[in-house]
Amino acid sequence: MEALRRHKSMFLLPGLLTLALIIIFPLLFTIRVSFSGWNVSNPQLDFIGGANYTAMLHDSRFWASITRLVLLAGGTVLIQYVIGFGMALLVWREARGRRLWRVLFLVPMMTTPVVMAAIWQMIFHESLGPVNDLLGMLGLTKVPWLTESGPALVALMTVEVWQWTPFMFLLLLAGLLSLPKEPFMAAAIDGAGAWRTFRKVTFPLMAPVSVAAIIIRLIEASKLSDSVYVLTSGGPGSATETPGYYLYIQGLRDQQTGYSGAMSLTYLVLMIVTLTVVAALLARAFKLKGAS
Amino acid sequence: MRSRLYPVFKYTMIALWACFVAGPFFWAMTTSFKDVNGVQGGATYLPWLQYEPTVVGWRNIFGGAGGVDVMRPFFNSAVVTVAASAVSLVLGSLAAYALSRYRFKLGFIKNSDIVFFFVSQRIMPPVVLVIPFFYLLQWTGLLDTVLGLVIVTVALLLPIAVWVMVDFFNGIPREIDEMAMLDGCGPFQTFVRAILPNSLPGLTVAAMFCVVFGWNDFFFAFRLTFTEVQTLPQAVVALNSSIPPWWTLSAAALFGVAPLILLALRVERYLSKGNLSGAVR
Amino acid sequence: MNLSATDLCLTVDGVDHLKDVSATFVPGRLHAVIGRTMAGKTTLLRVLAGLQGVDSGALTRQGADFLKTPVWRRDTAMVYQQFINYPHLDVFDNVAFPLKRAGLARDEIRRRVTDSLARVGLADFERRKPSQLSGGQQQRVALARALARGTGILLLDEPLANLDYKLREQLRDEFRTLFSDQGDTVVIYTTTEPAEAMMLGDVVLVMHEGRILQTGSPQEVFERPATTTVASIINDPPMNIFTGRIGSGQVTVAGFQATHVSAHLADLPDGTYRFGLRATDVGLASAGVEGEVTFVEISGSETFVHVAVGETPFVVQIEGIHDVALGDLVKLRLRPERLFAFDEEGTLQRTPSYDLTSVEGR
Repeated sequence: MEALRRHKSMFLLPGLLTLALIIIFPLLFTIRVSFSGWNVSNPQLDFIGGANYTAMLHDSRFWASITRLVLLAGGTVLIQYVIGFGMALLVWREARGRRLWRVLFLVPMMTTPVVMAAIWQMIFHESLGPVNDLLGMLGLTKVPWLTESGPALVALMTVEVWQWTPFMFLLLLAGLLSLPKEPFMAAAIDGAGAWRTFRKVTFPLMAPVSVAAIIIRLIEASKLSDSVYVLTSGGPGSATETPGYYLYIQGLRDQQTGYSGAMSLTYLVLMIVTLTVVAALLARAFKLKGAS
Repeated sequence: MRSRLYPVFKYTMIALWACFVAGPFFWAMTTSFKDVNGVQGGATYLPWLQYEPTVVGWRNIFGGAGGVDVMRPFFNSAVVTVAASAVSLVLGSLAAYALSRYRFKLGFIKNSDIVFFFVSQRIMPPVVLVIPFFYLLQWTGLLDTVLGLVIVTVALLLPIAVWVMVDFFNGIPREIDEMAMLDGCGPFQTFVRAILPNSLPGLTVAAMFCVVFGWNDFFFAFRLTFTEVQTLPQAVVALNSSIPPWWTLSAAALFGVAPLILLALRVERYLSKGNLSGAVR
Repeated sequence: MNLSATDLCLTVDGVDHLKDVSATFVPGRLHAVIGRTMAGKTTLLRVLAGLQGVDSGALTRQGADFLKTPVWRRDTAMVYQQFINYPHLDVFDNVAFPLKRAGLARDEIRRRVTDSLARVGLADFERRKPSQLSGGQQQRVALARALARGTGILLLDEPLANLDYKLREQLRDEFRTLFSDQGDTVVIYTTTEPAEAMMLGDVVLVMHEGRILQTGSPQEVFERPATTTVASIINDPPMNIFTGRIGSGQVTVAGFQATHVSAHLADLPDGTYRFGLRATDVGLASAGVEGEVTFVEISGSETFVHVAVGETPFVVQIEGIHDVALGDLVKLRLRPERLFAFDEEGTLQRTPSYDLTSVEGR
């Protein structure tokens, strides 16, 4: 037993230390820099107290981007969950060509978001893209997808749903495939219909997988910025700006390093708190439904 | 389920979603064979019927005159992805094995807390990390190098590897470890000879996620490498920002996502096989 | 070469898994450790193998401290209750695995693997994967791997428990020949089945709640169980244990005149005793101790009738199939010459007369 105790750290430490070293420096640096006035004309670690944080409190563009992110992430993840669950249910058991559908439905999550965003930009092009072309064929008016704030948000959400519903699909399909058979047999013997079986058996059994899948997707969605950069560049104006993208503008393009450090930390803490609360709420909500 | 309308509804939904999923690929594919004549007049879909197909877009990305080179970015992406995935899989598997098999206790910190530390790094937005990384790599002279990009990519992938592998190792009976030790293997030999060979499904899934997230990373590459080391997503996005030569962009985009689509085709077989055997039980 | 345990103790979450376990395991003999589930048998094997530490106590082999020796240097093979093999290796490579680790030459490995697969009757299965084998075959592979190495210590943890009845009997018979020439290997075999322990063991160790209650030859343990607990563990069905009085030449049980005092109990002073009587030594009769039938088991050619006498449960084993209904009132005839007598603490006082001479010396 002694010999085992000595070995266990040798397994754990290489990975743990590597990650800790890679992560800790950026965190410490960001904390320190957030109290400095480091910017493009003054690139040094002086100390200006909480001035960056005070400025941030009055930066309505930052807070708007946070609100927008919460709505965007919540909305797209909800849509992804509904569609992903629906599709998983459809190709779960008997379905013609289910192997083909399974592969096809997984493909988008394997593709590079920025590259696909570039393709989507063509697709949403106001005069040359296929979306408006199809709308025209249906006799509808063309929509200025990427140049008006409402449609731009719709376009962004479409891209997110396209890209990441497959991830939901994958997790939920794996969950469905590992469900025990007995409860379904029992439901069938009881003569429960499809809807009743879903509500009383499938959905409660899938609750843990559902919560996990939703949390994982919310975590990834909270970082949304790449596709914004390519698809709309945050525009029109700042209508589709997310914190990730705004931080890119402040910190990297305009090199307001100190200020962006303060916002980075605030963004990170807000996301951690929000996700923790959401995780707890989801766990509770699903448990209640499962019990009824 | 017994309603006669149900199959109609079911396959309609599947077909609609399949069209939506396949749409962008179809658009990129058809556009990649257009030239300015096929694009300027509005959306066209079918070659020969609506536009005269050319291969100019494809020629552009493979070093044709006036084109862009995708081979070097492709090579860079491949090196970074493979190297970072390999490092993450090795370090991640070792750490996951330790967390699955041994009990750690350091004050209030227990195994689950260490697992959480690894996995929680996924919450870190790249934009928060990228500025410090920029200076870190600048000071160490690793800015705009493959090595620098590999190191920061490991931070993205290691949590994924640990997450997948802890779960997988937990599913392997401990008796296998014990038996290997009784059979004369030290702890490390036990891991290499008895556990790893039985972890191929888990390693495949972990490797798939690592490769996907490694290959698809844009932000780190975008801010931490510039001229010397350009990755494929960077190259494609660079095409996008100029006046759209849509055919070249489309060809490059398809070229950029093709490796992972091929991977998806191979791995899905593997995934659903494992899933199904677990389900049929 | 002896493997000696001294006062091994292990407590997990307030439960004693091992309590003052002392035993000497001798090469060339098969030690059958018998006990109910959770008696600490598996824990003992895991400690001997080095897979589990102890709170206190000593373990020595050839005089050296064995507790400090890591698992992989203990020269020990173990067969698990669950059929554990390397899933990724075929049968041949499974058996060859420890031999390769030991650095044997290729020819030697081939010879030993072939030999030990033949011994367990799996000669034609070399290239199958464990998952393509039946449970019994998988257990044979595990056994072949353990045997092929010729380790100094061989541990078998209820190796037959997860097999069906027929296979169990068959393998048990084969074990007798397999383990007959173990040379200088210490063999330790755990089981819950008295028949297995009796049949295979050169030495029987009876474990209960982390303690070793008795050690001895199968005959000794069977005929002279040190306590009521041992008597109950070592018999199948468990020995009937009940309280009674000796007085005026009669044994009284639950207010009934059960039987006269036979010769081997004659010198015991009058008073209250715990008595033991095997199920085969109780019969149904027209007169005797009265009780109510609570359960009837018919197993092949025998009938087990469970009878409650007041608070005390009895099992009666009778030949043939008998029609006894639940709730029937029956009378039990106790064979007086087969009574084991224990004092009120459960310590053995007298054994049935036929073996008195053979055990009196101890």
